[in-house]
Amino acid sequence: MLWYKAWRESRVRFLASAVALVVICASFVFFHHDASGGISDEPLSYPVYVWRITYKGYLRELFMILAILLGLGGLTRERDQRTAGFTLALPVSRWRLLATRTVVGLGQVVLLATLPAIVTPLLSPLIGQAYPSSQAWAFTILWATVGSLIFAMALLASVLFSGEFTAPVVAILGLAAYSFLADVRPFERYLTDIHDVMSGVDMPYFAERTGILTGPLPRATLFTVLLAAAALIAVGARITSRQDF
Amino acid sequence: MSDARVIETHQLTKRFGQFAAVEALDLNVRAQQITGFLGRNGAGKSTTIKMLLGMTHPTSGTGSLLGKAIDDPKENREARRNVAYVGEDKQLYPYFTVEELIRFTRSFYADWRPEVAQRLLGDYELPPKRKVRALSKGMRTKLALLLALSRKPELLILDEPSEGLDPVAIEELLQRLVGAASEGTTIFFSSHQIAEVERIADRVCIIDHGMLVEDFSLDELQQDYRRVTLGFATSAPVDEFRMPGIRRVHRADRQLSVLVRGNADAVAAHGRSMNAVSVDVVPISLREVFLESVRSES
Repeated sequence: MLWYKAWRESRVRFLASAVALVVICASFVFFHHDASGGISDEPLSYPVYVWRITYKGYLRELFMILAILLGLGGLTRERDQRTAGFTLALPVSRWRLLATRTVVGLGQVVLLATLPAIVTPLLSPLIGQAYPSSQAWAFTILWATVGSLIFAMALLASVLFSGEFTAPVVAILGLAAYSFLADVRPFERYLTDIHDVMSGVDMPYFAERTGILTGPLPRATLFTVLLAAAALIAVGARITSRQDF
Repeated sequence: MSDARVIETHQLTKRFGQFAAVEALDLNVRAQQITGFLGRNGAGKSTTIKMLLGMTHPTSGTGSLLGKAIDDPKENREARRNVAYVGEDKQLYPYFTVEELIRFTRSFYADWRPEVAQRLLGDYELPPKRKVRALSKGMRTKLALLLALSRKPELLILDEPSEGLDPVAIEELLQRLVGAASEGTTIFFSSHQIAEVERIADRVCIIDHGMLVEDFSLDELQQDYRRVTLGFATSAPVDEFRMPGIRRVHRADRQLSVLVRGNADAVAAHGRSMNAVSVDVVPISLREVFLESVRSES
């Protein structure tokens, strides 16, 4: 039943996020002609259009914010809502509470990452275009992986900070700070810009001119990102086990 | 009644910065009794209960719940399987309906009694399909009590259980607690409603400023606790009563009022030796003991 609790806590956020992503994704397809002109003065091929508006553009930013929203909650929030006492009196470890929430949340992030891969190739033929499913699913892998890291950042923020807005603001600022540092000279050698990992910009596995992923996905980078996400979650679990409620 | 202890603490302390919420608490709760945990608001009752249930970590000291160490997460989790708890907030997951929350809670406990849950649902007139967020405060309290009373735990811990209930519901609750105790469940409940404690408790622990200041059975209260009032012809002597059993001494003009436990005759005799013109020895109520125990020294 802990799974059910975790699902019920995040259900509204997840479903609203999914609807938003599907609607926006579908709009990008159906308003291809109008939106294409707004992106570039030159005519764009359909894959380049999809990449620029979806995988590099607004939808990617939206996805990152939604991943943050899905990472919020947990015992600190329950303390604010005064339900933590009921939860902690259950014969369940804090580790299990956090693990359940993490698995459900990560599952939701992965599902959100798959939506563009379903919607775009499915709807494109309706406007006489085609977008390769293989491309869309490859981007899904990139999004899901980086989304896991963003989710973990939000989860850690929600463990550390109470208050309705503090945790999301801290997570967004943390994300912004990381992105900034990843572009600054002394750090750029050591930090990978996760925005670029998601979109493929400046990455050897992506050809910007054609908007197509050309090479194998960066397994080492993705593994490192997942490792960082796991580390943040482990820190969150460690802090949770020591907190007073 | 058993003499076994279901709750034991030794020098249990919880500090928040410089503030000691609980200070060197030595608490013993006997099995198969109803123990009232009395104290003013902020006396440390809830913090003590939270430490017992592993929600808050003690700063120092030790404690056990049903024989399991409270500061060992694994042992505490084992103990919680046999403990039902109603917190002071009575806040429950707002997104669940009443029946969903019952189903959710039931899934964690082997001692769940569906027939009792069904009966309480009817008695408390709780609408099963209604969301918890749409329940009134009183209904939420009743739901929290239902979730605890539908089990048959070894220990039932209630933190201000009657808060938010009307007088009829309070009466029903007290009867149910007595019924649960008669079935062998130990009950430990905090309250600042002295009348409730006096109605059902076998034993009373009084906490003040985080420290245990009294621990007695209601039988002991009737037999041992007395107020000895000494009247003097002139101003009451500034004699320091250093005798066993003396809890409090109040001096007012020509009168000395002494709260004493178990040694009233000797105190009265001492008063007479001090030339008291009147000596009254009267039984004392729980309310008086409580007020004397938690009143600041003047």
